[in-house]
Amino acid sequence: MDARFTETLRPFLPFLEGDPITADTPLRELGLDSMQAIELMFALEDTFGAPLPDEALVEETFRTAGNLWEALLPALPETAAHATEAA
Amino acid sequence: MTAAPATDTGLAHELADEIAEVCAVAEKHAPHSDESAEFPVAVLDALRPRLLGLMVPTGHGGPGGGVDDLIDVTLALGRVDMSVAMAFAMHSQQVVGIVDHAGRRLADELLPRIADGRMYLASVTTEEGKGGHLLSAQAELAAETGRLAVDRFAPVVTGGQQADGFLITMRSPDARSDDEVSLVFAAREQLEVTPCGGWNPMGMRASGSGPLRLTGHIPEHQVVGEHGRFRDIAVNTFGPLAHLGWSAAWLGTASGALTRTLTVLRDRSKGRKADLGSELLLTRLSTARQRLDTVHAMLRYTADMVSRSADSGADLSHPRQQLLLNSLKITASEQCHRAVDDLITAVGMRHGYLRDSPTGLERALRDLRSAALNYGNDRLHLSDGRLALLDPEVRYA
Repeated sequence: MDARFTETLRPFLPFLEGDPITADTPLRELGLDSMQAIELMFALEDTFGAPLPDEALVEETFRTAGNLWEALLPALPETAAHATEAA
Repeated sequence: MTAAPATDTGLAHELADEIAEVCAVAEKHAPHSDESAEFPVAVLDALRPRLLGLMVPTGHGGPGGGVDDLIDVTLALGRVDMSVAMAFAMHSQQVVGIVDHAGRRLADELLPRIADGRMYLASVTTEEGKGGHLLSAQAELAAETGRLAVDRFAPVVTGGQQADGFLITMRSPDARSDDEVSLVFAAREQLEVTPCGGWNPMGMRASGSGPLRLTGHIPEHQVVGEHGRFRDIAVNTFGPLAHLGWSAAWLGTASGALTRTLTVLRDRSKGRKADLGSELLLTRLSTARQRLDTVHAMLRYTADMVSRSADSGADLSHPRQQLLLNSLKITASEQCHRAVDDLITAVGMRHGYLRDSPTGLERALRDLRSAALNYGNDRLHLSDGRLALLDPEVRYA
């Protein structure tokens, strides 16, 4: 997960209380409700310039930070994905 | 859940005699239950031998009912008493929750009792101060050594006074937010069940849905699914089956109302009074019937989507699936109520408004008025607006 992703995600998790975001960080339990999930998707689209793929719009995607990141990866422009893998 | 065979060959066909018997008991008790606002215990007793266990798989001693069977039976019950149909549908939804999500030990303990008709399950998801939100909970399960402490007040518990067991949503032990919710099973004998008020509503009076306080201790294995993961159960089981079951109950209610209205209109015994050539009457009957056919088509289509999804092992969380399920609920709640309202206008004061008319339209209308409020349509529209934003290409489930 790259820093832009976790920075975009952090404001949507009001119960995180400063803990680091890892792949296992649960999203629903930390306060991501359905309205905020939509705002988050728009925020990610603004950050990375690509929407989440249609098939990724399922509950499992929004379970953990790692799942959301994995779902986002295929939609990322080549350079962003490569930069992330290198990082 | 397994895919069910077509209606005419399904379990409802095999169980036709049992269903007819329950309907006869329900019909007999409906006026008194409505008058007294009491849950009809005689109807529950009639449901016990075969129908309470409808959704229990064959491996646990049940007939292995599917979604279509649940709909068929609920439709039939709704024709005579909407409260009974709702209580049955909600119990069956709880059973599927156990089948699909309980651990082996709990399933082995509970499902044979349900199949034998010894376990009527009530749902405890309402809570004061959360505005009917299904997916959150404030009262927290307290983890003690090897067991869990339950202390829960619920303002609306359908059939709670008669239930043999409860499925209860509570905030998970040590949860960080109200969205971390666990579902637990508690048998009546494990709890102190205290009624906390009366039940005197406009309709749905026989559902006996008064407030309860539940306190007691349960072993750890009575958590259904994983701690904090009630959302999975809600999205894949409770939500879909609630919308399908409720819609079937409402459609059954409106169908029964139309049957009785047509029977009165066609009655030649006392020198038929209705002018069956009246274009206004014919148009109103047509409109009512059209509403019911619309709901029926949508109900069966949505049930098919749920069965297909279960068969393929997929979940039901995609926006277009959630949109269809929510649309079914909204459409059924509005159209069934409107159909009965149309019929009241069609037949007028004597058979439309008086409580002792054989059409029963007055009670059907009062009962159906709850449909839009039961998990409120206003809230569902807000969800659907969000879900619509997620599907700009507008693809259908």
